[in-house]
Amino acid sequence: MSDAAHGVGGLKYDPKKRAKPPELNVFFALVLIVATFEALGWLIYGDSFLFNTRANVDTIFNWARLNIIILQVSIIGIIAIGVTQVIISGGIDLSSGSIVGATAMIVMSFAQTELVNGNPNPKAVFGTWAFDLPVIVPVVVGLVCGMIAGCINGLLIAYTRIPPFIATLGMMVSARGLSKWWTNGQPVSFPTEGFAAIGKGMLPVVYFIGLAILFHLILRMTVYGKHTYAIGSNEDAARMSGINVARHKVLIYTIAGMLASSAAIILSSKNLTAQAGMGVMYELDAIAMSVIGGVSLAGGRGSVIGTVLGALIFGVIISGFTFLKLDAYYQEMVKGGIIVGAVVLDQWRQRRNAARS
Amino acid sequence: MKKTLMISGVAALLATSAMAETVGVSMARFDDNFLTVLRNGIQGFADEQGHDVQIEDAQDDVAKQLDQINNFIASGVDAIIVNPVDTSATQAMSDAAAAGGVPLVYVNRQPINLDSLPDNQAFVASNEVDSGSLETIALCDNWAAEGKTEVNVYVMQGQLSNQAAVQRTQDIYDVIEAGKCKVTINVIDQQTANWSRDEAQNLMTNWLSTGTAFDGVIANNDEMAIGAIQAMKAAGIDMATVQVGGVDATQDALAAMQAGDLDVTVFQNAAAQGSGSLNAAIALARGEAVDQTVWVPFELVTPANIADYLSKN
Repeated sequence: MSDAAHGVGGLKYDPKKRAKPPELNVFFALVLIVATFEALGWLIYGDSFLFNTRANVDTIFNWARLNIIILQVSIIGIIAIGVTQVIISGGIDLSSGSIVGATAMIVMSFAQTELVNGNPNPKAVFGTWAFDLPVIVPVVVGLVCGMIAGCINGLLIAYTRIPPFIATLGMMVSARGLSKWWTNGQPVSFPTEGFAAIGKGMLPVVYFIGLAILFHLILRMTVYGKHTYAIGSNEDAARMSGINVARHKVLIYTIAGMLASSAAIILSSKNLTAQAGMGVMYELDAIAMSVIGGVSLAGGRGSVIGTVLGALIFGVIISGFTFLKLDAYYQEMVKGGIIVGAVVLDQWRQRRNAARS
Repeated sequence: MKKTLMISGVAALLATSAMAETVGVSMARFDDNFLTVLRNGIQGFADEQGHDVQIEDAQDDVAKQLDQINNFIASGVDAIIVNPVDTSATQAMSDAAAAGGVPLVYVNRQPINLDSLPDNQAFVASNEVDSGSLETIALCDNWAAEGKTEVNVYVMQGQLSNQAAVQRTQDIYDVIEAGKCKVTINVIDQQTANWSRDEAQNLMTNWLSTGTAFDGVIANNDEMAIGAIQAMKAAGIDMATVQVGGVDATQDALAAMQAGDLDVTVFQNAAAQGSGSLNAAIALARGEAVDQTVWVPFELVTPANIADYLSKN
C-alpha cells in the first residue's frame, strides 16, 4: 500500500505525511484537563472528580457530575455550532448573545400562562389573547425572530460589503436595545407547561448533540458545507468557480441567527423566565468554544466536532473548579489562559505542518 | 420651529414652577427591574402631590449623570434627586449641587461622602445590613422550628463587584458571629452566580453532584434562589426538606413561595424610597430641616404574610 503510485505524477502514499485529524489534539487536551482535576481532587479532598465515591449510589461514574458538565454548556454550544460555520466561512458573529436576549423576551411573551397559583399572571405582556397559546406559536415566533436578525446580518455583509465584525456588532447593540425596550427592562415570566417542557432536564443536551451531528453532516457531506469551506479558504477563488458567494453568506448568517434563537427558546424554557440581560457574553463564549476546538479565525478550517470538544472543555473547567471549591475569579483567569493557549498551540502546529510538507 | 417649541417648553416650565416645585431626577438606569419600580414611585408620588419631576436616564454612565445634574442646575430646578451610577463618584455631584445652591437627595445607593454631605443634601435608602440579616435569621428560626441544632448550607453570592452582594453575604457571617442564629451554621461552599437564575441552576447542580448532605441555600437575591430551587427539583429533592432564602420579593419569588418552594425573601420598598426621596427634596427646597439619612426598612416576607406583598412589586 505504501508503495502505491498515484496518477502520472508518481506521488507516493506516505503514512507519515498523513495529517492527523486536528480534533485529536483537542480531545487529548480535554483528557489532560479531566485527569488534572481528578488528580487534584484526590490530593486535596480525597474525592474523585469523575467516579462515584458515594455509598448510596450504585454506579461507577458520578453521573450527576457528568450530566452537569455537558448540560451547562449545551445552550451556548448550540450557538457555537452556528458561530462555527460562520467562522469557517471567514466571518464572525458578535450578535448571537443579544439575539438570545431579544428572542427570549419576545418568545416568552407568547408563551405565558393565564393563572399563576390561581392568581392572574403578574407579568403579563399582552392581553388575554396571548395566554396559553399552543407551544408551537412561541417556538415559530422565536425561530423567525432569529432568522430575521441573522438575515439582516447576512444582507449587510454580502451586499454592503462592510466587515462582518461591524455588521454583527451593530446587530449586537441594536438587538440588546430591543430586548430592553420590549418590556422596559422588566422580566417576563410564568410560561405554560407545554413551553416549560421544552428545556426540562437533560433535553438541552439532546438538542445540542442532535444539532451537532446534523451540522457536522451538513458541513462535511453537502454542497452547502463544501461552499462554506470554499468561501472561507479563498473567497475570490470560490466566486470564480461559480459559487454565489453573496447568497451563500446570507444563508450562513440566517442559519446562525436561527441557532441563536433556538438557544434562546431552550434557555428561557429551562429557566421559566426571560430577562433583558440574558445571553450577555454568550457570543464570546461561543467564539471561544469554536476557537479552542480548532476552528481557524482565518476561515476555511475547523469542524463541529472540534467545537463540541471545545464546549466540553469549558464544561469540565466550570465543574472542576466548583468541585475544588475555588472562586469564580480563578475560573475566569484560567478560561482566558486556555483560549489564548489553544490558539497559540494551533498556530504552532500549523506552521510545523507547513514546514514538513 | 425647534426653537419656538423649546421656548414654549421653557415658558411652560417657568409657569408651573411658580405654583409647585420642580425636581430633576437622574436615575442610574431605566432598564433595571427594581429601579423601574422606584422611578415609577417617584413619578406617581409627584403626580399625587402636584409637583413637576423631570426624570433622566444616566445609562450607567458616571460622566453622563454629572452632566445631567449640571443641566438641572443650569435650568433652575428647585431640587435634584440622584440615584448614583457609581457610589464612589458622588463627591463631584455634591460639589456641583452645593456650588449651584440646589438641594440634592441621593436615593437607594449610599454615596461615599455620606458623612460630609452639606446641610441641604440628604440620603434615602434601605440598609443592606438588614436585608441579609433578616433573611438569615428567618431561615435560622425555620431550622430551629424543625428541631435541628446544626445545619450545613450553601451560599450563593451576587456579582462580586457589587456592594449589595458583598454586604448581604457579610450579613450571614455577622448573624452567626453575633449569636443571633438559633442553630449552628456550617457553610459548605460559597460561590457567585452573578445574580442570574441560569448560572444558579448550573452552580446548584454542580454542588448536588458532590453528594454532600445539606439543609438549605442562602442566596443574595431571589433569581438565584429560584435557580437553586429549579435545580433541586430537577434532582428530585423534596423542597419541604430544605430551606431556601432570597432577597427582593419579586413576583417570580412570591409565586415560588406560594408553591411551597421558597421559604424566605425580603422586600425592599421601592415606592417608599421614591416618595421618601421626593419628600426630602421638597422639604429641602422649602428650607425645612430634614434627617440627612433616612432608612426605609426592609420587610421580611414569609408564607405567613405573603398576601400583603402580592401586589406591591
